[in-house]
Amino acid sequence: MGALSFLKDSVFAEEYAAGGGFLQSLDPRVKAITFLLFIIQVLFARSIPALFFLYGLCLFLALVSRINLGFFLKRTWVFIPLFALFIAIPALFSTFSPGEGLATWDILGTKLTITRQGLAAAVTFIMRVAASVSFAVLLTITTRHIELLKVLRIFKIPQVFVMTLGMCYRYIYLFVSMIEDTYRAIKSRVGVLVHYKSGQNIVAWNIAFLWSRSLKLNEEVYRAMLSRGYEGEARVLDEFKTQVKDWLWLFSVAALYLIILWMT
Amino acid sequence: MHIPDGYLGPGTCGFFYLVMLPIWTFASRIVKKTLKARQVPMLAIGAAFSFVIMMFNVPIPGGSTGHAVGAVLVAILLGPWAACIAVTVALVIQALLFGDGGITVLGANCFNMAFIMPFAGYYIYKMISYNAPVTSKRRVIASGVAGYLGLNLAALFTGIEFGLQPLLHHTAGGQALYSPYGLSVAVPAMVVEHLLLFGWVEALVTALVIKYLQKHSPELLEERQVNNEAHF
Repeated sequence: MGALSFLKDSVFAEEYAAGGGFLQSLDPRVKAITFLLFIIQVLFARSIPALFFLYGLCLFLALVSRINLGFFLKRTWVFIPLFALFIAIPALFSTFSPGEGLATWDILGTKLTITRQGLAAAVTFIMRVAASVSFAVLLTITTRHIELLKVLRIFKIPQVFVMTLGMCYRYIYLFVSMIEDTYRAIKSRVGVLVHYKSGQNIVAWNIAFLWSRSLKLNEEVYRAMLSRGYEGEARVLDEFKTQVKDWLWLFSVAALYLIILWMT
Repeated sequence: MHIPDGYLGPGTCGFFYLVMLPIWTFASRIVKKTLKARQVPMLAIGAAFSFVIMMFNVPIPGGSTGHAVGAVLVAILLGPWAACIAVTVALVIQALLFGDGGITVLGANCFNMAFIMPFAGYYIYKMISYNAPVTSKRRVIASGVAGYLGLNLAALFTGIEFGLQPLLHHTAGGQALYSPYGLSVAVPAMVVEHLLLFGWVEALVTALVIKYLQKHSPELLEERQVNNEAHF
């Protein structure tokens, strides 16, 4: 259950969000809008220099937000951009990207040619994926998760979705703990080396048992909601405050967006 | 199966947001209409459940592991409309907090995994298990087939979305701007691995969970947690 431990460590670790860097000091609503602008800009960018510039800007923002660069690079490049790098390799060659040849190898009588078009397509693809993932991760690690989910209200997402998201986030934490406890109990009784068929049965039994416990939990949670005054509509406290710095940041990002759009 | 940001062009991303908007609106209306007050937390629990299913490593022969998406299982347990919302919420949390999947491609991911997969799987399950008793073997087989076909249909749509990118978005010189492979490469690449490997993992997990529920809590397969009367 390595994936579960990773999830617990990465999703619920909020030490950077609680830090005192530049991005952490911004109003989460303004930060979310500006990061959405950055991600849209990455999506629309058609030139390699524009993508490198946006990726560099993301690294600079991580630095001024006191994010450890080693941690940030590891978190952003493993796994999605590395996978993109791997699948982009065949696109380098003339078989998939015909065009002007840059380098040719003769391997066992088969000619392999890297083309200019193939190289450009692969670099564009990898840099776009890396920049998008980096902006998304930077937003996530510099904002408290509950605040990030609350921010969705500014996009006029129905309250039922926002409430479900907030509750779901808490249940994930609970479920992860429940599954970890169950696996620890199994491991202490049967060890780690089990036949794959037994392993499959353990996974299925765990999922079925989790569902059964979830239903019992539903009843308890509903009673807890009623005891706290739930009358069919959810109410959320709004503690966001916008300062001059937030407006300046929003204006700067919007201006940068227009400049890049004009230049490319 | 999760498409990350950068793989699909702006036109495709926008198109799938437009397709999903009425589906999400309709799903939330149906669920709001049929959801009893005491079942309100069920949606969040269902979403967390579908999130966690994707985290289980299922052992496969040869010492490797795979993981199930679980959308068909959630549809069988909650009904397809509630499953649509639950899987959407799980995908939003994965994209926003976990960096898995993407923000611009959320519409496309939801179309594949929160619409095609649960709906196709649910109706295949209903069709095969038609009139079968709750504890019958036919339901176990039906859930396995539904899981297998549901996942493969979702993979086929994902492959088509990837394969269309070089046709839809390229420079004047023909250089691909997003996912670089055409339909003839992207569709087989997505479909074959799911037909041969991940589809079986999905089928196995869905069928075994239904089998365990039949044995230990058959009432959970009889009473739907979110009413299914509104299905059509």
